[in-house]
Amino acid sequence: MNTNNVWELAEAYLAGTLTAAQDAELRSRKETDEVFAAEFNDSINLINSLHGAGKQKRFRNMLQDIQLQQAKPKRIINFTPAFWRTAAVAATVALVTSLINYSIINGSAKRNNADYTVISKQVNAIANNQKNLNKIVQDSLLNKKPVAPPSDVRRTGTGVALTNDGYFVTAYHVINDGNGDGDSVYIQANDGAYYKAFMVNYNVESDLAILKVEKKNFQFNKGEVPYTFVGTKAALGAQVYTVGYPKDDVVYSEGYVSSRNGYHGNKNQYTLELPAGHGQSGSPLVDAHGNILGILTAIGKAGESNTYAVGSEEVIDLIDNMPAGKKIKLPKGNKLGRLGREDQISRMENYTFSVKVYKK
Amino acid sequence: MYNATNSEQQLLKALAKGDRVATETIYKQQYPIIKSWLLKNGSSDDDAADIFQESMVVLFGKVQSADFTLTCAVGTYLFSISKNLWFKRLQQQQREPGRLYDNSGDDEDGGIAYEEDLNIHHEREAHFNQLNSALDQIGEPCRSLLQAFYHKDKSMQEIAADFGYTNPENAKTQKYKCLTRLRKLFYTVQAK
Repeated sequence: MNTNNVWELAEAYLAGTLTAAQDAELRSRKETDEVFAAEFNDSINLINSLHGAGKQKRFRNMLQDIQLQQAKPKRIINFTPAFWRTAAVAATVALVTSLINYSIINGSAKRNNADYTVISKQVNAIANNQKNLNKIVQDSLLNKKPVAPPSDVRRTGTGVALTNDGYFVTAYHVINDGNGDGDSVYIQANDGAYYKAFMVNYNVESDLAILKVEKKNFQFNKGEVPYTFVGTKAALGAQVYTVGYPKDDVVYSEGYVSSRNGYHGNKNQYTLELPAGHGQSGSPLVDAHGNILGILTAIGKAGESNTYAVGSEEVIDLIDNMPAGKKIKLPKGNKLGRLGREDQISRMENYTFSVKVYKK
Repeated sequence: MYNATNSEQQLLKALAKGDRVATETIYKQQYPIIKSWLLKNGSSDDDAADIFQESMVVLFGKVQSADFTLTCAVGTYLFSISKNLWFKRLQQQQREPGRLYDNSGDDEDGGIAYEEDLNIHHEREAHFNQLNSALDQIGEPCRSLLQAFYHKDKSMQEIAADFGYTNPENAKTQKYKCLTRLRKLFYTVQAK
């Protein structure tokens, strides 16, 4: 380093990358050379101010952006072509019903009792029918089924249920890829329906996020989740498999633990010899007994089949540090232990699903 | 004494880094309440957003220091700051504040709490303004180059490409020259 350049020195000083020798030299120079000391201090202050001002500016821009998003109408129900047919039928039924009502009222003077019952039955039937249709329309609009999410899907990943009542875990980068986009998250459950979810806890370092499905009384499936999260490290060479959603259908792949530590020796990760692709972030890493060892987060270089997974210990850690009022109790019993692989997977499938992140 | 809960502390740490999710969480939690108070007290929609964002910036500035302490919940803090900023603005506009509606959740010293935080905030703003006016005076390409690096958080590689330097090292040399000019300008402006 050219120690004559005060800026290089100042930058290294602020970044904490000065060696002990350089640091000592800097100190003695500051003590002996007053002009240099003043210049150095001004430089430090200027860099700090520039950084602070820039950081604040970016923060203000972000606030403005958030405000703009908030200002948009909260909920626009897209009247997609899929609903036109139901809506049209409902409207026609409503029209027919009102016409029939009209004819009842008009014809009441010379009504024939037998006709009347029949008609009213019909009216009832139609009314019921209409009610049903309304309900279907409402259901599809408000409660269930493709409430076609806001717009194009940005990212997809896989989620694993933590509890049956709607908590699940996935990779943090699925939810937030670091471009600072606060997007809406939906899961597509196995019945094809979309459910909106929100984040309750996350850890950027371990790359995990815990979310919850918004809908009240939501259940992934009948009964508690059948597997357990195991925080202890699996042995080298342990046979593992995963199920995830690189496409709309669930995909199974298997492999083995190839290294106890992960990327660059990360102790909280596993390295796996396991083929995986985009969209499988957040998939469960399962051992032969149906224990979840970790969550898939990354793959190695193209051409290698290295896959990295965050150990379940980190998941448990995140659950232990949940915000107040949002406690998760993981089920203790593993109901998959005695099942064959196929049966394990078919049970597992009910609790893993595609996570889709949409642009707001 | 109030102690920020773990999750709140975590949220604030993320906020300090400018994390979008954390910022949005706080925004969505607090803005509706504060906005409704501001509207009741005579602000417009635009004013409300403006005041609230300013209070978020005050909080952002406060949590930058590693040893910050918040003696109340995030919401209470933002509410107090927003109120304070709004009263100041009304005073500037020579308008009487409307009737105080909801003071629940306030400390004893309600409206005038965190005066010190606000003073620090205003000092910082003045400082940044001086810096920006110095930046405006140094001329191109220095202004754009420093803005790209510090404001837009671009890397030296990107800057070298954007500004047509043959390599990042050259861009860096130029950056140092610009910094020297800025330092000279800034501290003479300050000395005046």
